[in-house]
Parts: sequence; structure tokens; C-alpha cells
Amino acid sequence: MNSNFDLNEYIMHHVLNSHEWLLPFVQPIPLPGILTSHALMVLIGCFVIVMLFLVFYRKDQRVPTGMTNCLEALVVFIRDEVAIPNLGEKDGLQFTPMLCTIFFFILTLNLLGLIPIFSTATANINVTFSLAFLIFVLLVFGTLARNGLKGMWHALIPSTLPKWLIPFFVIIEIASICVRSVALMIRLFANMIAGHMVIMSFLGLIIIFGWIALPALFLAVFMYCLEVFIALLQAYIFILLSAVFIGQMYHPEH
Amino acid sequence: MPPEISQHLGQVSAGAGIGLSVVGMGLGVGLIFASAIQSVARQPEMAKQLTTLMYIGMALVEGMALLGVVFCYLALKG
Repeated sequence: MNSNFDLNEYIMHHVLNSHEWLLPFVQPIPLPGILTSHALMVLIGCFVIVMLFLVFYRKDQRVPTGMTNCLEALVVFIRDEVAIPNLGEKDGLQFTPMLCTIFFFILTLNLLGLIPIFSTATANINVTFSLAFLIFVLLVFGTLARNGLKGMWHALIPSTLPKWLIPFFVIIEIASICVRSVALMIRLFANMIAGHMVIMSFLGLIIIFGWIALPALFLAVFMYCLEVFIALLQAYIFILLSAVFIGQMYHPEH
Repeated sequence: MPPEISQHLGQVSAGAGIGLSVVGMGLGVGLIFASAIQSVARQPEMAKQLTTLMYIGMALVEGMALLGVVFCYLALKG
């Protein structure tokens, strides 16, 4: 039994941001200046997405095969199942590119974190904050720019409300917009960081207790498979909830 | 109260907080999935819409519970 081992230090070291790129079997590579490991992962993720859609996506195929088929299925799924049912025919088509961008960004970063030499950028609250802030800006200024102050008022206050309840409702609805954005941020962050913590705890058990805890490896592999599902699900949930919230603000009559 | 005892009490309660968050998450997600399965068994043609609603509900429950887990873990660390 290894009593000098600090499980907490071990987990935090793998989950938190650092100024060096951690690699297996070799010394960590120090990163220059303001570049941290999560920032590097975001850059790699952007590179992967650009490569996917510029190189592997072939538009001239009459019958899409291979990678083109996979990407096209995801994009059509987002358009037909997420954007159009929640945002309507016209807005749905307008918002599909944005929702696709966010979906592929989150999905790439989530899946990148499951490959051993990379780390999860979506387990950093700053990354998820910037994504959720985008949705917050759309909810507030998008509605103002599209429907004006009157449209914003109708989106916040139901028309059948008694007059004396209006001040309370304004406060509650403003808080609700903020809470929705914050909940988007927290959900993605907590899901990604919790999954990696659980995997690392199972692996840490093996280091603490030695070979007798080897069955924990199977639990870790099981959690890993669950994490692949969670990575897909969280990317889907993020854009689904964004579409639902934007739809509620843009079309208050529904 | 001696400082080491209060520190240990804090650690015990943070660990209990993790357990309680997980109990709440299990109850909530279990209820959502149970009623979604029942609804699909009664009306199989609604399966597509119900799946979307099920995932929204699951995400809403799970997000808050995981927030509890992560914050309890941070309390355990500090």
C-alpha cells in the first residue's frame, strides 16, 4: 500500500490548466508565454474542425460516402431536429450555421480530452463561460435588435398578467435569463470535469492499493465508454437548450 | 473544538455532500427515465418528441447535481 501518494494532487494535476503540455513517458513540454495547455487544446480543436470541413468534406459527391456522409448526417440532424422545431422555418435556417459551429466545437474538444496525450478544454470554466456568454448576448441583444424594446417586453411579461405583479416579474425574468446562461456554463463544465475526476479516482485506487485493486481498471474503462456518450450528449444538450431559449425569446407567442 | 477535529468534520461533511448530490441526481434521473419509458410504452408514436424532452430534463437535473458534486469536491480539497 502506497501511503505517500496524494490522490487529490494526482486528480487536480490531470484536470486543471497548466503552462506545460503533459505527455506520457516523456518530460512535459513547457509552453511559451500566455499559451496554456487548454488554450493549446482549443487551437488544436479548431484546426481539427477546419481540416474536417475543408479537406475531408467533399461537396462534389453525388452520393455522400465516408466522412462526408457522417458530417452531413450531423448537420442535417441539427437543422431538422434542433433548429427548425425550436426556432421556426426561417430563423431555424438562419441559426443552423451557428448551432453547428458550437456543436462541432464542443464535440471536438470533449472527444479530444478522451485521447491520452490531450487534455479537456471544456473542463475549464473559462471556455464554457465564453460559449455561454455568446448565448447570453444572443438572448438579450439579439432579441432587442430583432424585436425591439416592445418585443423584449412581450418576451418577458405574459400579456394576461395582473398589473401589480409586473415589477416582480421583470426581476424574476431578468434573473431567469442570467440563470439560464449560467446553467449552460455550469452543466458542460461540471459534466466534463466530473467524468475525468471519476476515471482518475479509479486509476488512483490502483496506485494506492497495488495489484489487488486491478479490477478498478474495468470500472475505469466502463466510465471511459460512458464519457464518450456524455461527450456527444453534452454537445447536443448545449445546442438544444440554446435553441429552446433563443426560440422562447424570439417567438414569445408560443 | 480543536482545529484538527473541525477540519476532519469539514472533510466528512464534504464527502457526505457528494453522496447526497449523487442520491438526488439518481432519484431525479431515474424518475425522468421511468416516466419516459412508460410514456413510450403507452404511445410508441410519440417516441421521438419524448426522447428530446427526456434529454432536456435529464440535463437540467444532472447539471445542478454535478455542480454540487464538483463544489463539494473543491470544499474537500480546500
